Amino acid sequence: MEDRMLGELPWLAPIGALVLTAMVAVILSLFVARGHQGRVGAFVAAGHLVAAGLVAWVWLDLGPSEVMEGTVMMDGLALAVIGLLGVAGAVGVALLRPVVAGTDREGELYAVLAAASLASAVLVAAADIALIAMALGMLSLTSFVLTAYLRRSARGNEASLKYYIYGTVSGAAMVYGFSWWFGLTGATSLAGIGERLPEAPTAALVGSTALVVLGLGYKAALVPFHFWTPDVYDGAPLPIAAYLSVLPKIAGLIALARVLPVALPDDAAGWSVAIAAIAAATMTLGNLAALRQRNVVRLLAYSSIAQSGYLLMGVAALSGSDQGLPALVYYAIAYAATNLAAFAVVLAVQRERRWVDVSAFAGLGARHPWWTAALVLSLLSLVGIPPLSGFVGKLEVFTAAIDAGQAWLAVVAVVNTVISLFYYLRVIAPTVFATPAGTEAVVAAPRGGASAPLTAALAATAIATVALGVGAEPLLRLAEAATMLGG
Amino acid sequence: MPWLSLAVGVPALGALVAALLPARLTAAPRLIALGSAVLSLLALLVTLIRFDTGAGMQLVEEAVWIPTIDVAWRLGVDGLSLPLALMSALLFLPAIGYGVGPRPLTRAAAALLLLLESATLAFFLAQDFFLFYVAFDVTLVAMYFLIALWGEANRRYAALKFFLYTLIGSLPVLLGIIVLFLESDPATFDMIRIAREQPLAGAGAGASLTFLGFFVGFAIKTPIVPFHTWLPAAHVEAPTAGSVLLAGVLLKLGTYGIVRVNLQMLPDAFAEYALPIALLGLLSVLYGALVALAQRDLKRLIAYTSINHMGYVVIAVAAAAAPGISASARELAIDGAVLQMVAHGVVTSALFFVAGFIATRAGTRDLDELSGLVGPMPIYGALAAVAMFASLGLPGLAQFPAELQIFLGTFDAYPGIAAVALLGLVVTAALFLLALQRAFLGETGAAWRGLRDLGRRELGVLVPLIVLTVALGVYPRLALDLISAGSWLLP
Repeated sequence: MEDRMLGELPWLAPIGALVLTAMVAVILSLFVARGHQGRVGAFVAAGHLVAAGLVAWVWLDLGPSEVMEGTVMMDGLALAVIGLLGVAGAVGVALLRPVVAGTDREGELYAVLAAASLASAVLVAAADIALIAMALGMLSLTSFVLTAYLRRSARGNEASLKYYIYGTVSGAAMVYGFSWWFGLTGATSLAGIGERLPEAPTAALVGSTALVVLGLGYKAALVPFHFWTPDVYDGAPLPIAAYLSVLPKIAGLIALARVLPVALPDDAAGWSVAIAAIAAATMTLGNLAALRQRNVVRLLAYSSIAQSGYLLMGVAALSGSDQGLPALVYYAIAYAATNLAAFAVVLAVQRERRWVDVSAFAGLGARHPWWTAALVLSLLSLVGIPPLSGFVGKLEVFTAAIDAGQAWLAVVAVVNTVISLFYYLRVIAPTVFATPAGTEAVVAAPRGGASAPLTAALAATAIATVALGVGAEPLLRLAEAATMLGG
Repeated sequence: MPWLSLAVGVPALGALVAALLPARLTAAPRLIALGSAVLSLLALLVTLIRFDTGAGMQLVEEAVWIPTIDVAWRLGVDGLSLPLALMSALLFLPAIGYGVGPRPLTRAAAALLLLLESATLAFFLAQDFFLFYVAFDVTLVAMYFLIALWGEANRRYAALKFFLYTLIGSLPVLLGIIVLFLESDPATFDMIRIAREQPLAGAGAGASLTFLGFFVGFAIKTPIVPFHTWLPAAHVEAPTAGSVLLAGVLLKLGTYGIVRVNLQMLPDAFAEYALPIALLGLLSVLYGALVALAQRDLKRLIAYTSINHMGYVVIAVAAAAAPGISASARELAIDGAVLQMVAHGVVTSALFFVAGFIATRAGTRDLDELSGLVGPMPIYGALAAVAMFASLGLPGLAQFPAELQIFLGTFDAYPGIAAVALLGLVVTAALFLLALQRAFLGETGAAWRGLRDLGRRELGVLVPLIVLTVALGVYPRLALDLISAGSWLLP
């Protein structure tokens, strides 16, 4: 028993790296002088990248495997997404550093961020409802702390409190749903549940499944569990919003993609249609709400809700098409790069101009052509304009939806794409066409433009946004290989 | 040498270089833009020499791109692709030469024009649906920025409308491409294979929906009434060279798509919808002509005649798809349709330059304000008259042989529609003659007596187009031999 557990340790190395990163970061932050807490950030970013590197090692040298008696699946899906979490988490730290530099608990914030990444990684790999519940709880708690970091901001406090209360309630609802699953099947592993759950009475089955979807859907900001998103993104430090819009969201979606087909094989309880309906509602409401926004952060918040809808198309297609999972994985990675690039530019603008209304972007093209190029490319990628990565992502999920017999969902997504063009262009237009009027004073006294980590993160994500689309082959191949074990 | 890839790649590379140039090299963007456009045209002329008339799809260049989903860099030419690509490469020269925005051509303008050229050529040469769609969308992004940055007073609104409408058009095309991809076995984006294997042969509901997805997308681009409402705004608000490229080149993306995809890959479904589509074409012919008749703004008038002229193409293609049309009539109709695309490209480009030249001189394009322009500007008047006569279909000029073939071919399938469509010719003849009479003849208004005639730069862009107009009219075989629809229509 012990030998086997020891033998399995190498597979857990990526998760172990994140555990160590979080723990060492707490200790480091106690000993590093306040002026040098950026080193803790550098350490945490490096820890994330090491985790991503270990993923490559596990995948290539050891191969996918289930560990800890099937509670944790280090399969292609988990490895691909943990690799993504590692890189995206490092980018998140790079975005965070210039904003929180010199604040009083800077080092601890990096440690909490590492813990959130850890929880996301566990959620992605967990194949046991107890572990999923624990990971989700930890993710809620750490996200809450991240959101509330700016303690003196009333909006931040309101946002984090909202986030915490609703998060706890939805997490509890999920645990309650899990308890039904356990009661109905006597198993805690997803595979064990999947053997008996479809035979359960329909009402109990549907009710409990709905509760589980609620808990995971909350993290992924799916309609109707999305209402926290704009307030939280707006109230939290901007880089934290960027982080929350990528890591926990993708972790929640991947957890849905693992839980539903394994616990409810053969589309039991008709979850495909339900998820497709949620996808349609999510993209539609997200896009419609984004149309009204003049604050670019809130606009990106609603846009990320809409993007959750497109991503969820991959989950909805899981039982009807084998294209669903690769589409989800590809789109998740493309979305992460694109969304982080967009947030990075908004952050740079916020630091220079102190506000992020659409008007703050007027004339950006003349002063910062590179930022503008990155912003235009990332927003067009979010629209789904080829050959950017967002387009290939949409091509993949549309293909999966049509292949799964959900062509109507693809049509809804097409209509939504057109709607989304309106508000993305509302940011692009002043950026490229307008001349800055009445803002010269601000330009003359910039608060500090891009710092080195921010510039690096911006460049890396913008390049990835383009490169992953034009050269889609390696990532598509990776997505094809990102399969599930025990599914 | 991969000549086709060069034709597409050189402008793309030129766009990148122009965008990254240091700002102090003010003359360089224009030189790079013109140089790239000339090289691209040369590569296509080499292709023309190597081209074997009558051999169907040929000179295919293929390179690995995304093998996981069988996407590849596939370019090739046949009697449909090559004439349109040549025409586009030709039209980009005067457009770039005349330029958009401040002079000399800025880095951004050069980069956008070259990006547009590369995407347009990629679209006409693509034999892979992924590349086809990428090119389709990149043209609209590039054109969006060209209109919004350097257009006229209401440019932002027009650019937004253009982007939205054409995106609404391109997304059903994307869904159609996905269906063809999924239905082909093994799944592929290879257009040559899809055309050969006809995965949606027979006319089920799926084939019909796919057909309609493609058709709506291309109909918006063409544009066919009632999908045309974006066109007047975009053409009028665009800068002169932008209007030239919009009408001369980009409209053909729609009709090219209808022939390449709807007709070649979904002929059974097309046969089902041939009559209603021919009627839509007829509606475009009549509506475009009548609305153009009511215009006072010369640019707007030309924009509406484009709807009329593209209507003939739609009628011809629908007739070719009609069940029971004879093979010879079908070839006649498609020969005429492709020739009309080329001829309209050349003639309308000339007309938009004509409108642009007078607007920069007189500050107006209003036909009621302008009068007697021939007096101070005889050369301008003569060239404008030739372009207008060509557009109304005068024998000996480019559009006459095209329209003649279209009518002859259509007559076999839809004699009634062909007869009514003749009315469109009558109306366009009237409206151009009226325009000539109002603005060019008569007594020269006091304000216009001092107008200078065309300068070197303006003659440099307009004269070649007029020469080509006459050449195509006098000797249409120049293009028809190249087109020879019989060789590629049925793969």
